[in-house]
Amino acid sequence: MATARPGWSRRAQYGLFFSFLAVIAGIIVGLILLALSLVSPESFQTVRGAALDVTAPVSGALHEVTETTEGVFTGAGNYWDAARQNAELKRQNKAMLRRMVEARAIFLENQQLKATLQLRQSERTTIAVGRIVGSSFNSPRRFAILSAGTSQGVAGGMPVRSPDGLVGRIIEAGALASRVLLVSDRANIVPARLLRNGIPVIAQGRGDGTVDVRPLEVGRNPFKPGDIIVSSGTGGLYPPSVPVARVVKLQGDDAIALPLADPATISFAIVEPPFEPAAIAAQPAAADAP
Amino acid sequence: MVRAALTPPRRIGQGPSRFAVYVPAVTVVLASFLAALPIISTSGWYPDFGYLVFISWRLLRADPWPAWWAAPLGFVNDLFTGYPVGFSIALWSATMLALDLIDRRTMWRDYWIEWVVAAVLIVLDEWLQWRVAKVADGAPPFVAMVPPLVISICVFPAFAWFVSRIDAWRLGR
Repeated sequence: MATARPGWSRRAQYGLFFSFLAVIAGIIVGLILLALSLVSPESFQTVRGAALDVTAPVSGALHEVTETTEGVFTGAGNYWDAARQNAELKRQNKAMLRRMVEARAIFLENQQLKATLQLRQSERTTIAVGRIVGSSFNSPRRFAILSAGTSQGVAGGMPVRSPDGLVGRIIEAGALASRVLLVSDRANIVPARLLRNGIPVIAQGRGDGTVDVRPLEVGRNPFKPGDIIVSSGTGGLYPPSVPVARVVKLQGDDAIALPLADPATISFAIVEPPFEPAAIAAQPAAADAP
Repeated sequence: MVRAALTPPRRIGQGPSRFAVYVPAVTVVLASFLAALPIISTSGWYPDFGYLVFISWRLLRADPWPAWWAAPLGFVNDLFTGYPVGFSIALWSATMLALDLIDRRTMWRDYWIEWVVAAVLIVLDEWLQWRVAKVADGAPPFVAMVPPLVISICVFPAFAWFVSRIDAWRLGR
């Protein structure tokens, strides 16, 4: 009770008054820190990275347990022959879809390469491989915790992908774990294109696990349900031709798409270096506010 | 006559546990640490565990911890949950102050009033989270915040019950 009058004791009154001042000071300090962390998100990198290193191993261990439990149940289910076959077929189907998407993306890219022969071919390297062990499940933002950190060479701004598609980009890195801004977060904007015809589009998260896709040119809605969106490599952060999302619904001039890499089901995620670091360095600081 | 007086006396020598003063703060930190659960959600509908336990304690008792502890507890919550640093520090300190003022104004308290007060605080918490996310260009339309709001308000009594059990245990009742 920082505001109540405790009686006639001067000492008690002063004690309460100072606790009142302490609470006010707490509010002011909190507001200053909040403003600081909104204006320059990098200012708390170290302490937040340390906190990640504390929580991520716990999440990772618990993740193992849930995964094993799930594995036991799915394993039991697969004793039914039909179910096993079904799972096998689904896996094959998924793998083939993935290959098909890749092949078509490569075909499209080849066409463009032929058109502009001077284009420099860059080699893809993998910096680290980690598992998604947690997420911001009580916040309007969409973050995930990746079990790979600066000790493996991960740094802020690096794109994260899985075999299924683009996951997002690193925004904070601790020594053992890092925080990923998912494709479905509203602050994550991915320059992309339609796989079917190469029309350039912008994919922006909607905060609820889906992605909003807009064409760059105003006019007729170019989307069809089932269309695959792949990254275009524009902007230099995300590598080109990585599958991003599949259109599920049209909405006015835009379309709503589901990310192809579901962070809840992907078994591992790959951290890659930024596609064209020079291009990113030339731009003004990107809005990476957490 | 209160119900406690009717029950037979417990063992002699049973009193508050040795760390009774620190138990409330520790439970709040543990609740914040629940953010480390391996839940991978793409909707963010889970409640803000740390804040729920925090207001449960504060509504149960006027002095679960010295008022200024709200700031460090909020800092720990910010670190574990990934909110922008400073958000919970300011909000939790302000909550301590607001509840002190409410304590002076209310004539009586019952479960319904506590639930309403908690609901108002939860709405403020979620709205401020949404507002801060909007500053960082990451906020969905506010309609998307309604399900987590309803869930948080509905689970609050469970947290209040849990906290009252812990309170009884720490005081050796």
